[in-house]
Amino acid sequence: MMEIIQSKHWVEWLITICKFGFAFVPVIFILLLIPLERRGAGFIQDRQGPNRSYFKIPYFGRIRLFGWVQNACDGLKLFFKENYSPSGVNKFIFSIAPAIPFAIVLISPCVIPWFAPMVFTMGDEVIRISGQTVDTEVGILLLFGLSSLSAFGAVLAGWASKSKYSLLGGLRTSAMTISYEVCLGLSIMGILLLVGSFRIDEIIAWQEANVWGIVAQPVAFFCFLIAMIAETGRAPFDVAEGEPELVAGFHTEYGAMQFGLFYMGEYSHIGINSILVACLFLGGYSVPFVTTETIQSNIGISLAVLCGIFVVAILAFLHLLYRYARWYKKSAASNKQVILREYSLYKILGWAAVVVFAVAGVASALFFHPQFTVIDGQPVYGIGVALGTALIHILVLLVKAIFFCWIWIWVRWTLPRFRYDHVMNLGWKVILNIALVNLVLTALIAKLLGGI
Amino acid sequence: MVRQIKQKPMNWIERLYIFEAFRGLWTTLKHALRGLLRYETLPTVPYPEIKPEISRTYRAKHRLMLRPDGTPRCVACGMCATACPAHCIFLEAAPAEDGRIEKRVLRFDIDHLVCVFCGLCVEACPVDALRMDTCDTSYVFRKREDFVTPMYQLMSWDPKDYPQDDLQSQMAPGGTKNKQALDAWGLKVN
Repeated sequence: MMEIIQSKHWVEWLITICKFGFAFVPVIFILLLIPLERRGAGFIQDRQGPNRSYFKIPYFGRIRLFGWVQNACDGLKLFFKENYSPSGVNKFIFSIAPAIPFAIVLISPCVIPWFAPMVFTMGDEVIRISGQTVDTEVGILLLFGLSSLSAFGAVLAGWASKSKYSLLGGLRTSAMTISYEVCLGLSIMGILLLVGSFRIDEIIAWQEANVWGIVAQPVAFFCFLIAMIAETGRAPFDVAEGEPELVAGFHTEYGAMQFGLFYMGEYSHIGINSILVACLFLGGYSVPFVTTETIQSNIGISLAVLCGIFVVAILAFLHLLYRYARWYKKSAASNKQVILREYSLYKILGWAAVVVFAVAGVASALFFHPQFTVIDGQPVYGIGVALGTALIHILVLLVKAIFFCWIWIWVRWTLPRFRYDHVMNLGWKVILNIALVNLVLTALIAKLLGGI
Repeated sequence: MVRQIKQKPMNWIERLYIFEAFRGLWTTLKHALRGLLRYETLPTVPYPEIKPEISRTYRAKHRLMLRPDGTPRCVACGMCATACPAHCIFLEAAPAEDGRIEKRVLRFDIDHLVCVFCGLCVEACPVDALRMDTCDTSYVFRKREDFVTPMYQLMSWDPKDYPQDDLQSQMAPGGTKNKQALDAWGLKVN
């Protein structure tokens, strides 16, 4: 036991344990995705979206957080409702089914690499820490296996509910998962062929060294994205829920937090899937046009650029806020004072953040000149540089993932839903064939050009 | 007449669907960016805080028009109650004290829970005593009885809330044309 503990430096242990926190990233994505979906849907339909609820802060006033509070209230409502089940259901399966998709989502981020492998010196030792929580050769296969397991939740729920709508929904889920898993697997075979590995960190390293997957495999990217959207079971592929046909599909009989778990499972599934698409086709954590070595050798400048991006983003936000406040001041709204008071808080926080980030950026650009030791012809830096690089990598990955989250929402609120036979046609007759042809062509071209 | 609509057959680019899907995505993206960057230009209003502008011609809550001396113009003929398809107008008549008028109204109640806001009562009134131009669309009470609006509530409106060119309203007590109207009416109210 002591040998295992002493085989690693305590910093290595600490970071390894901290990496388990990444299991909760898809869950945190829910907090982002639900407001993004509801406000985004509102804006797409020229509405305002939910913006009513507020927190009351003593001696200050009301905080609406741009409508975010509404989602918290809805979650709270689901949490305190009665757990209801119809008579005659299989109680055990009925109550365990909603937990399956949600539990799967907690496991699946384990193979996602969140940052390039850390190499740094600590005293005399050189410490290497990989970017993913579980460092395994199967990589993406494990992720696919886990994400197709989450269909079990829907299937078991459909079967246990003792309702024909639920059963049909469950059946459709299983059929769709099977057909789109095939497309999913085949469409990334091209890029796996080019990289020659199942490990996601090697796929990202290949993209960093050559080009992004979306450039190397554009057709595969579209096939993969469509199959991914279909696999999460959202519109335009929501045949499993099928509002016009099946009431609500497999979760017809569910209410309260059991329904909430399905809901959260779906959203965190979107989160994990968009992280995966970002990893496979958008270069994952790699910063465009900049290699990890460049970042590490100019870490002060890199962090300064990061701070600069933050400052620009906050200034853009403040601009919108000021303009909206100006309009609100002129309007005849009866709650003008309350809203403007809330905005004044955001203005203060925003300007404070601008100052903090500007100072931090200038300081890091001027004073952060790390020491390095050359080991095997490669410069190896200290822990500060390693953590700074990891921070940049994580943020880049999250930005790419959030972009794909928006694509999920955008597609859902744009395209009309497909009929069940259209979905199957698209899966088996179109996307599968395109993916196969793409695979063969990739193999041919790779053989002719690269001679792999 | 049967109008036959000929749909243009889709060309092969449209039948591929994917390009049309991208066009649709571009359309929704424009709307989403409008909401995000030009939030104040959204056509919706945050309702209870900002009230929408309601036209004077909108059939809202009723009001009873007034004579220059403040008595209701209603002559209790009962035409409105007869015309009402929902039977929500209840009125009682009494002989008028003024010699020039035959009857006056004692009780004039409108049950706004029953009312269908068709405006037939306004059309039926021979003396323009009943109007629906208050622009009052939201009135909320806790009890059903409170929705039965009695005469004094129907009469309690302020001429200042109505435009100057609405002579009938400005002739009422408090209106700008009240004095002239009183002179013409031939009665001085002490």
